[in-house]
Amino acid sequence: MQAIVLVLSLSAIAAVAAAFLMVLRGLAPVAGGGPSDAVGALRSRILRISAVLGVPIAIATLVPWPHAVPAGSQVVPVHVRASMWAWEFDRTELPTGVPVVFHATSTDVNHGFGVFDPDGRLLFQTQAMPGWVNKVAWTFTEPGRYRVLCLEYCGLAHHGMMAEFEVRGTS
Amino acid sequence: MPSTTMADRTVAGFEPARLALVLGGLVFLVMMLLGLLMKASQADLLPLDPRLFYEIMTAHGIGMVGTAGLTGIGILWHFLGRHVTLDERAFWAFLGLFLSGVVLMLGGIFLGGFAAAWTFLYPLPAVSGGVWSPNVAVLYLAGLALVGVGFLLVHLECARALRAAWGGLGRALAWPLLFRGRQDPVPPPTVVAAAAVTIFDLLGLVFGAAVILISILEILLPGVGLDPLVAKNMIYFFGHVFINATIYMAVIAVYEIVPDYTGRPWKTSRVFAGAWSVVLLFVMAVYPHHLLQDTVMPAWALVVGQVLSYGSAVPLVAVTTLGLLSYLYRSGARLDLSASLLVLGVAGWTAGVMPAWIDGIVAVNKVMHNTLWVPGHFHMYLILGQVAMVWGTLSWLAHGRNVAGLSGGDRLLLGTYLVGGAGLTLGFLVAGAASVPRRWAVHEPSWTVHDLPAVFFAMLVLVGAAGFFLRALPGLLTAAGATREAG
Repeated sequence: MQAIVLVLSLSAIAAVAAAFLMVLRGLAPVAGGGPSDAVGALRSRILRISAVLGVPIAIATLVPWPHAVPAGSQVVPVHVRASMWAWEFDRTELPTGVPVVFHATSTDVNHGFGVFDPDGRLLFQTQAMPGWVNKVAWTFTEPGRYRVLCLEYCGLAHHGMMAEFEVRGTS
Repeated sequence: MPSTTMADRTVAGFEPARLALVLGGLVFLVMMLLGLLMKASQADLLPLDPRLFYEIMTAHGIGMVGTAGLTGIGILWHFLGRHVTLDERAFWAFLGLFLSGVVLMLGGIFLGGFAAAWTFLYPLPAVSGGVWSPNVAVLYLAGLALVGVGFLLVHLECARALRAAWGGLGRALAWPLLFRGRQDPVPPPTVVAAAAVTIFDLLGLVFGAAVILISILEILLPGVGLDPLVAKNMIYFFGHVFINATIYMAVIAVYEIVPDYTGRPWKTSRVFAGAWSVVLLFVMAVYPHHLLQDTVMPAWALVVGQVLSYGSAVPLVAVTTLGLLSYLYRSGARLDLSASLLVLGVAGWTAGVMPAWIDGIVAVNKVMHNTLWVPGHFHMYLILGQVAMVWGTLSWLAHGRNVAGLSGGDRLLLGTYLVGGAGLTLGFLVAGAASVPRRWAVHEPSWTVHDLPAVFFAMLVLVGAAGFFLRALPGLLTAAGATREAG
């Protein structure tokens, strides 16, 4: 996911840079004066294309709902409680191949519950907030030691607020 | 109907908006230095104590946002004064409140140890884990409130002046042109932009003031409290609207200055008026994209956040970016340093919006939120966007249009700043894609591979920015002196 997002973003940034460079190379005047009709037409076309593209982009990224939480007897619930500056779990060994639903909350301030795979790649996150329980679901496919880092600034030892859990083969 | 211009009155004498811009330029440099210190610390070149790091982080964040606001409102005030009659006393009062607030906040941070980040996410100011005292938090928040009241005051004066000149904010927004197809006279782009910004920034500031007041009450009377989710909504509504307003105010300089170079006055068309009305709504409605990781939020609000993130980018690109390109194309404009920086500002803003929009997709946000991806996109549309527009405006105020175009020295400065800004912000994006968290005082050894180049690029930004400022300063001071004498 991250690599695709990076490539898409860099491509969009490059397109913006190319458009500006192209125009800056075409500053030399021509007879007639005002902004060209061609640019006006291009603007209308971009507006129309953007509006039309917006619909499939929205559908493709919102269906199924990214925050959907599965239910049923197969689901493994994990309750996570954040406090300055530590994480508390009701279980630290999790299975592969079945959905795990994390229920994250906090006893004091906002924290960010970010789960990183054994290679240090962020898999998913949610906020741990006082008075509320945010739920996030994930199905682990690889065993290993996963790390939890705080991703919402929470004060002096924010960078030290880490924990680990173990993912083993399907229980 | 519009009244006569007050440009002559505002530039005769010491124009407070010019002072705001000069002060803002200076503070930008100091804040960039703080940013460089943080990067050097994360790279393990100059390790800072985490407590000091987070104090610097708080000062850097609020300093940059506040200064973007200060310079943005300076640009708005300076150029709006060409079209409506503004009461300068409001701006002087704003400056007084702003500077008083800054003193309180700096005291809170560096003397009292307050370090809740510029977002002061409730209830962190009140619950510090024993790091700072409640009194210090109150001091800081009171300073923030003073700054906010200053902005409220100056926007209220803008609203009054716009209504007096145009017979209502709807007319200043060119709604008769938009909805009925005709308006005589048509408000110039600066008036349309100023009216839109004034409305949404006023609303943002009201929410900001309310949540600051509640945060103070929570400290003084524990238990009074606000629901943290409601508070988060209020803070992000205020923060999102405010930082966007800084850019939308700065872009007024592009509308006003670039025509000097192209010979093509920027005109208010129906598309332009429509786009600004869309901006007015979307800037406020899009804020839930800051809460995409709060799954207890109503799903419809998060969907609105995602869809409008995309929708917000369209009027920007369609009107300001393509508008600028169309005015420039085949215009024969000879760009000097000022105009180049203004053009860079629009390009950087547009480029920065791209990764910002992509991060506004719920599924993407799940793996990019609160990594260095986030500072990556906002540093792009600030360093290469809003702040570049401010340097361009300062340069233009100091020297006017340089018919000779870019000198060798100008090219060197511009290149240094551009390479530094692009390198720093693209590096942030790459680090975000590599899952490096943001706002961490201490980086793991594997992350410093991203920090070391960032230190180099941040130094380039600082050198370029210092060059822009120092190059403009004598002209700004001379111009101020000259206009004082003329006044």
